[in-house]
Amino acid sequence: MGVELFPRPHNLKSFTTSRSALNRTRILLRKIAWALFTILFVIVLNFFIFRVLPGDPARAGIRDPRLKAEAIEMLRVRFGLDKPVINCFESLNPVKLGSCNVNPLDTQFFIYVRNLLQGELGISYHTNRPVAEVLGERLWNTILLIGAGQILSIFIGVVFGVFAAWKARTSIDRAAVISSLVAWSLPTFWLGIILLFWGSKFGLPLAGKATPGASTYPLLQQWGDIARHMFLPTLTYTIIFMAEYTLIMRSSLMDVLSEDYILTAKAKGLSTFQILKDHALKNAMLPLVTVIAINLGFTVGGAVQIESVFSWPGLGLAIFEAVARRDFPILQGAFLLLAISVIFANLLADLTYTYLDPRVQTE
Amino acid sequence: MQSSTKITEPKNQWTARLLEFWRVFNKNRMGVIGLGMIGTLVIIAIFAPLIAPYDSSSTESAQIGDIYNPPSAAHLLGTDDAGQDILSNFIFGTRVSLIVGTFAAFISIIIGGTLGLIAGFNGGRTDNLIMRFTDIMLVIPDLPLIVVLVALTKPSLLNIIIVVGLLGWTTTARVVRSQTLAVKSRKFVLRARGIGAGNRHIISHHILPLVMPILVVQAVLVVSNAVLTESTLAFLGLGDPSALSWGQMLNYAFGRGAMSIGAWWALAVPGIGIVWVVLGLTLLGQGLEQVLNPRLETHHLTPGRPVVQNERDEFGSGKSADEKSGNILLDVQNLSVNYVADGRPPARAVENVSFTLKEGELMGLVGESGCGKTTLMLSLLRLLPSAGQIVNGKVFFKEKDLTALNEEELNIVRWSGISIIFQGAMNALNPVRTVGDQISEAIIRHLPDFPRDKRLDERVIELLDLVGIASDQKENFPHQYSGGMRQRAMIAMALACNPQVVIADEPTTALDVMIQAQILELLDDLRKKLGLAIIFVTHDLGVVAEICDKVLVMYGGVTAEYADVDTVYNEPRHPYTQELIKAFPDLTKPKKKLTSIPGYPPRLDALPAGCRFAPRCPAVFDRCHIEQPPLHKLGDMHFASCHLVEGSK
Amino acid sequence: MNKDHFLEVRGLKKYFDAGRPGLFTRSRDIRHVHAVDGVDFDLHHSEVIALVGESGCGKSTLALLLMGLEDPTAGTVTFDGRDITHLNDRQRKDVRRKIQMVFQDPYESLNPTQTIEEIISEPLHVHGIAKEKGERDQRVRKALEDSGLKPAEVYLGRYPHELSGGQRQRVVIAAALVLEPEIILADEPVSMLDVSIRAEIINLLAELRITRQIAVIFITHDLGSVGFFADRVAVMYLGRIVEIGTMLEVLEKPGHPYTKALLSVIPVPNPRLRRERTILQGETPNPIDVPTGCRFHPRCPVAIEACKASDPPFVPLSKTHQAACLLLIK
Repeated sequence: MGVELFPRPHNLKSFTTSRSALNRTRILLRKIAWALFTILFVIVLNFFIFRVLPGDPARAGIRDPRLKAEAIEMLRVRFGLDKPVINCFESLNPVKLGSCNVNPLDTQFFIYVRNLLQGELGISYHTNRPVAEVLGERLWNTILLIGAGQILSIFIGVVFGVFAAWKARTSIDRAAVISSLVAWSLPTFWLGIILLFWGSKFGLPLAGKATPGASTYPLLQQWGDIARHMFLPTLTYTIIFMAEYTLIMRSSLMDVLSEDYILTAKAKGLSTFQILKDHALKNAMLPLVTVIAINLGFTVGGAVQIESVFSWPGLGLAIFEAVARRDFPILQGAFLLLAISVIFANLLADLTYTYLDPRVQTE
Repeated sequence: MQSSTKITEPKNQWTARLLEFWRVFNKNRMGVIGLGMIGTLVIIAIFAPLIAPYDSSSTESAQIGDIYNPPSAAHLLGTDDAGQDILSNFIFGTRVSLIVGTFAAFISIIIGGTLGLIAGFNGGRTDNLIMRFTDIMLVIPDLPLIVVLVALTKPSLLNIIIVVGLLGWTTTARVVRSQTLAVKSRKFVLRARGIGAGNRHIISHHILPLVMPILVVQAVLVVSNAVLTESTLAFLGLGDPSALSWGQMLNYAFGRGAMSIGAWWALAVPGIGIVWVVLGLTLLGQGLEQVLNPRLETHHLTPGRPVVQNERDEFGSGKSADEKSGNILLDVQNLSVNYVADGRPPARAVENVSFTLKEGELMGLVGESGCGKTTLMLSLLRLLPSAGQIVNGKVFFKEKDLTALNEEELNIVRWSGISIIFQGAMNALNPVRTVGDQISEAIIRHLPDFPRDKRLDERVIELLDLVGIASDQKENFPHQYSGGMRQRAMIAMALACNPQVVIADEPTTALDVMIQAQILELLDDLRKKLGLAIIFVTHDLGVVAEICDKVLVMYGGVTAEYADVDTVYNEPRHPYTQELIKAFPDLTKPKKKLTSIPGYPPRLDALPAGCRFAPRCPAVFDRCHIEQPPLHKLGDMHFASCHLVEGSK
Repeated sequence: MNKDHFLEVRGLKKYFDAGRPGLFTRSRDIRHVHAVDGVDFDLHHSEVIALVGESGCGKSTLALLLMGLEDPTAGTVTFDGRDITHLNDRQRKDVRRKIQMVFQDPYESLNPTQTIEEIISEPLHVHGIAKEKGERDQRVRKALEDSGLKPAEVYLGRYPHELSGGQRQRVVIAAALVLEPEIILADEPVSMLDVSIRAEIINLLAELRITRQIAVIFITHDLGSVGFFADRVAVMYLGRIVEIGTMLEVLEKPGHPYTKALLSVIPVPNPRLRRERTILQGETPNPIDVPTGCRFHPRCPVAIEACKASDPPFVPLSKTHQAACLLLIK
């Protein structure tokens, strides 16, 4: 039968099965509901930041001299700028903020939400293309970069962390800890610049996702081209996040290896390899999963910097360019898309944890 | 925060505490290096106008030829895109980075600390609300949000400080909350309530002093984070154009052709500054964390120390001739174990202990905590922590000397020859694997020919049945078991490979009396049914009297008395045994006044000269303080190490 | 009202909600942990009463209820003729001076950042008594020395981690004594200590009762340790007292089968006196699902059919001794 590394709860046959299955569904539903609520919060936040702060995008957009009169009128209607911002809900609101006695469905906020549901995020000032269209392709580039970077940094971080903890207090351990601390202290964008400098000596592509005109190449060659372009950004990403995962994995494994059940395993005559594989690794990975989930928001910050340095055409670069051009619809859309993607990824990591840790299911 | 509460304490005490802290911190290399790195920068920032070779914004004299000059005598670190001296800009940039970092972190720490404290202390709905909000803020990508906020407001230094500060509190809130919760659930807080203390008193006297250290570590990390964020913002073009921070320098250099010209100095210098600050703070934070929350840097897989044989048999061994005749399974001879630590004399945890164990025999190993019982047991299978070392003696298991085996040979004896029932706390079983799985693992390891099909399952069920656990519990996890059941599962696991010797290390401590009785009965039954030899480690004399055949009483790492159970209780010769028995409540004599042994067992790294029990002994005399008594043989199966029994039979 | 009944506990109950209710949990679906389920007893002046029971019998919750650290679901507690069941913060603070508690774990019940002097003077500080330094110092010293930590100077400046387990428990007792209480509630004060040290803590409590006329409620899981100093013993099972009587009555003529079983498994430190033990099988049931009828019947070795149906009343066995078992009704 071999030793199961990940005991699957559906193998349980006792009374607790039904209870834990029930619990699991409840936990699952609760987490999904919570993610949806968070998305709602982000949508509201996104609306108010852009309406309340001085750089009101819609109005700024209308003042944009590049727009023609018809376009301005079209924008006004699309965003309902002639409408009140929100219904003040008189009964809840003694100071009468906003306009009262209006149909709540006829306010800017409602129009904003309705537009969102239809995938309508506005028009870029700079390119005059719909924001959704511009960002749609960029989202995948960001996911590609973050995905590759995360997989690599988690894998390498876990391996380094395991070695460091296993060989605690040896020179391997010290080297791993010190280099991780240094890597952790590097500003992401600066590491990008350094690698850019270094990469230029080897003739690696320094900017963008593909060589201009690469779309005419055969498919395999196209992929090779993208991979070459991805090399430096992914390397930067991996170095930065690998350091953190190494440190966390090390300390988590150190804790696990000091537990009594490791002594039990040793007394059972298991070899060091068996103990690491069957008794320590999974237990130590659990905190790492939590950290990965919590860190996703932070990870995106790294991607923004890397994309800016390497002109990788993702959402981060979109933010960078939008800031420089004061292209608020793009900024608003990019932020919204990033936030929602992170919430989803976080939900995924959270559910993985629920699945992996048997203690969660019967809390 | 709340430092006013400390004013009520005498001042000198706090200086003493700080000095003590510094003494420990000073030994932490990481922390000291980090502090040094930060200290240097703070000095540079304060004395910037004195140190900098050029004025901060002297562009007037700049010529076209001054742009991107490589390092030279005039400009030690070269010039930038505007022909300015990079060294001077770097020095003034230190100020900007440190100011932004400190002030933003201050805002974050105040918000995060307060929210965390409120959430953790109040609990319930408040906690729920605050932590839900924190979770939302944590999940929203912070850098894009900061970028949006700074882009929509005016990118001034003040705005950056406010935005970074207002968004950087989330981790602090989480950390402070969990620490507050942990402190709040500790018994001394309950005791303070019992005294009549109100919430304010409890927070200021009990919660804050224990949350503060963590908050300090957190503050250091938040500062480094704020410095990083500021430089990132500046690099992305959202810095305050009037304050030339390091990030701003990089933004100019990167955006204005330093790359294509190859002016590496313009790119390297500001970046190194950022790394310097962040690394310094990280090292400082790590150092503080290690000092405030020390953790062992060794674990159960750290290789142990090799066995050495010093061959000093100055004391009589506890072995008698006639015992050789029986069917001896385990023969421990003159075993000594030291704990070795750098720069300190070794702690003599076990010294010169000998005993034998026959088939089907149950031996009690008794002594107060800290007397070396567990060390002795772990050393039999060489499972000592890495500081432990066998410095003398032999352990014969069925004529095979375990101290001479290598790790692989020993792994075969472990569990299949000698198994251990660890103290039944949650921790001896792996929490993420089912109990059945952990039992079958032992079978697979030691009986490679055992069929891995239904018969393996049946064997596990049979073992569980043997200890009284229903077969449907096989697929459950340890946390679904009660304390008594976990102990039974541990016993089932110990029996999995049909060992001849089972070591039970305080298997009933921390269990209720009734469960304790159940476990004792079970062990006694199993011994009779399976012919097991058992070593029962306990501090409870009553338990020993109920089931054991013979008893080894340990004190301070040595054998105090070793005899059959009747002799130990009815004719004890060592004063320690006598006193222990007097201290034990006897239900058959309910009105009897209990006596206690004054004082405490010796620390193993500071043993008294002479007899180790002398400081507490009621019958002590001069010789006891000078000379360590050898183990005297008093009968066929009776030994005691006391000067008083010398020459008597 | 009987003047000798210094502390009167009547029908005291404490139910906790089992599990956190979800958003859609109807209130009638919430199940309860019956931690303490109807406890009556009296405590006399300078009397030592031992509350004995296994974990999960509700003895620790009972202690918290008596201290006013938990709010009872039902029942009353009367102290010196005054109802102290529900009090506001100020009244409670007043009562707390009179009732002090000693906890099980001496390693956890002292704040590691306080010196012994701070720990012992803290109660004075909280209640604003002995504000003058000389008087305060004197009271702290007396409390320390009365608790057997002599000379006081040696200990005042130390931190808890520099003391042994027994010494720490003495510090906890000193911090209780400094308020000059009339009752000390000791929740398993010796179970974390080595056997060799237990006696000195028990002896100390016994001494205080004589020198300071302090009544002691001694909570323990170990019937064996109550022998020498308890006046009366109350045995608890699943939130109820099942037997109460003087120490000799309970130890020598136990009425309830549970008490008998508990007594029979207490180890006797003499191998010549090994005897037949009544080992109850299974474990104490979950206090969420309390058995019907007599709550002990599923584990009772002598249960009869009637035990499943009716909850047994207290049956007097002597003037001072009663037990709740159907078999005792003649």
